[in-house]
Amino acid sequence: MSERPPGTDELARDADWRHLDVRMLLVHPVNELVRFLPLVIGVFLLGSSNQGDPWHYLGVAIPITLGLWRFASTSFRITPGQIELRRGLLGRRVLTAPLDRVRTVELTASPIHRILGLAKVEIGTGSGSRTGDNRLVLDSLGTAEGHRLRADLLNRTPAVAGVDEAAPAAPIAETVIMRLDPSWVRFAPLTTSGIVIALAALGGGSQIAGNVVERAASASDLDERVEALPLVVTIPLAVVVFVIVVSVLAIAGYLLANWGFMLSRDGSGRSFHVRRGLLTTRETSIDVDRLRGLEVHEPLGLRLARGGRLSAVVTGLRRSGSERTTLVPPAPRSVVVGVGENVLGEAGPLHVELVQHGPAALRRRLVRGIVPLGLVPAVLAALAIVSDVPVWLVLATLPLPVAGFALALDRYARLGHALTPAYVVMRWGSLRGRRDALQRTGIIGWNIRQSFFQRRAGLVSLTATTAAGQQSYELLDLPEGMAVALADAAVPGLLGQFLTRLDRLDDRDVR
Amino acid sequence: MPDAVTLRDPSQRVSTRAPLVWGAAALVRGLFLGAALFVATVVAELFDMPAWAWAAYAVVVLAYAVAMPVYRYRVHRWESTDTAVYTQRGWLSRERRIAPMSRVQTVDLEQGVLSRLLGLATVTVTTASAAGPVRVEGLDREVAERLVEELTRRTEAEPGDAT
Repeated sequence: MSERPPGTDELARDADWRHLDVRMLLVHPVNELVRFLPLVIGVFLLGSSNQGDPWHYLGVAIPITLGLWRFASTSFRITPGQIELRRGLLGRRVLTAPLDRVRTVELTASPIHRILGLAKVEIGTGSGSRTGDNRLVLDSLGTAEGHRLRADLLNRTPAVAGVDEAAPAAPIAETVIMRLDPSWVRFAPLTTSGIVIALAALGGGSQIAGNVVERAASASDLDERVEALPLVVTIPLAVVVFVIVVSVLAIAGYLLANWGFMLSRDGSGRSFHVRRGLLTTRETSIDVDRLRGLEVHEPLGLRLARGGRLSAVVTGLRRSGSERTTLVPPAPRSVVVGVGENVLGEAGPLHVELVQHGPAALRRRLVRGIVPLGLVPAVLAALAIVSDVPVWLVLATLPLPVAGFALALDRYARLGHALTPAYVVMRWGSLRGRRDALQRTGIIGWNIRQSFFQRRAGLVSLTATTAAGQQSYELLDLPEGMAVALADAAVPGLLGQFLTRLDRLDDRDVR
Repeated sequence: MPDAVTLRDPSQRVSTRAPLVWGAAALVRGLFLGAALFVATVVAELFDMPAWAWAAYAVVVLAYAVAMPVYRYRVHRWESTDTAVYTQRGWLSRERRIAPMSRVQTVDLEQGVLSRLLGLATVTVTTASAAGPVRVEGLDREVAERLVEELTRRTEAEPGDAT
């Protein structure tokens, strides 16, 4: 993306410049109105005297003015080879991005947008900063025009670049790969994101909820009855209530984000579309050429319920794993794998048998799992001897090292890698477990890290760097020779020149 | 047999003056921490620090400022070939980074105040990945300039957008 000095003659040709949809002017005032609705109702109900406070009118007037300004000052066009976004009334600036750098196109429509038939179009070019003024955002276009623009952007062919006015992009026949089955909400409470949503909602709503609960409790004799209960009953009761509340909120969050989730491939096979959302709808399109692999997320909770989540590794989208690259929301594992095979066009990376990392890696997992968690009861026991820490507290923390042991075994059992003709497959983690399949041609460097303790154990952590997704994909605790062999085989011709042949295996210890 | 080959160290060492920069930086850090301790104990009187503790602190800082650079100098190495840049850095924990020339996006040369006094420079090679720019610290200025020129020439020859 670059900026060009304004005022050149070429820019004066206004004919092909397109504008935002007029209806966008309504979006912000309506938003403001909704925000002020509680206040308006409050004023109406309470008959308060601050009706004429001029600040409230300012609060509505400013967004309207901003909206007008933005409408008048924003225009865009697609020329052969690039998209240009022009902004500013007095000082003009033009953002230019080559069309072949367009990675993703996202159409977002809040409920107000939907009522007005509008959609916000966000064009991801990947290069440079994605913050502030340099993002290509068109807020908003008519839904139909948004779709047309998306088709223009994603279906350009290198041979016939640009928009051919005589033959507009043909209506695209899509192949649906997956549709959400509402019964999958059963996975929602098992995800960490569900719990996070629930906690955020609890945090935000706790004041109101707290007040309501308090009032309800004091109105009845509920709190006295609760206080009368023994601790053995109230603690499990509190846990059950908490689990129910979290589950309900997680399910609500899942439905809000994923209602009507549909993954499809467009007719030309050049991009994937993801459509979802209950109130705010979101349509993300991902260019197939920018797809560098897949992440199968298998956090412990989902794994125990035979579920998973799938997201795409896309160049130019920094925060992968975030919602915008989700290909399958929490769903049964068979669905996740099926969609993964479909997207990759091959089954290999998702099924190939993994190479385990050997006894040294297992030892390291065990030490790191047991020692820190074992320290807790050990320290408490020491304190119990010298001071008055109660013994039951020590006993209560005894399961910690056992859990650490189980976790370590699971982490080792899942740790592994494999190489297929086109992909490097890495599987790791237990609580946040993942299986990543990364295109070998998408790897743009290797980092080989060795901590002091890893060096003594002859292990290394191998990281593949890439321009896509998380930017780096790390494989823990490989034996040194295995890591070098993997890196060398995955990206031929890179490591070869730095390798030396060992005559005796013992030579490794000399360095 | 995967164990039959191993990754050798990069061929080039950094400048012999590089340990001076690391040592000086360690001393400066030690002095700052010492000043903070001084303010906390003597000025603000938050806690007492006996003379022997001050002596011990000075010994630890000095030992670190001498031993760390010496050890680090044995680890830090770099190599640039027609097709790749390869570095090794660290001291207790170590990291090797390899970036193919075809994926290099920018090449930076920078000099801190201390490095300028000693005629040293740092070369940073970035790729399209946010993870892992490849850095070579403590090169002689002429070596660094030659490396930058070489890298720019090689990467210019590569087609594509390096992602």
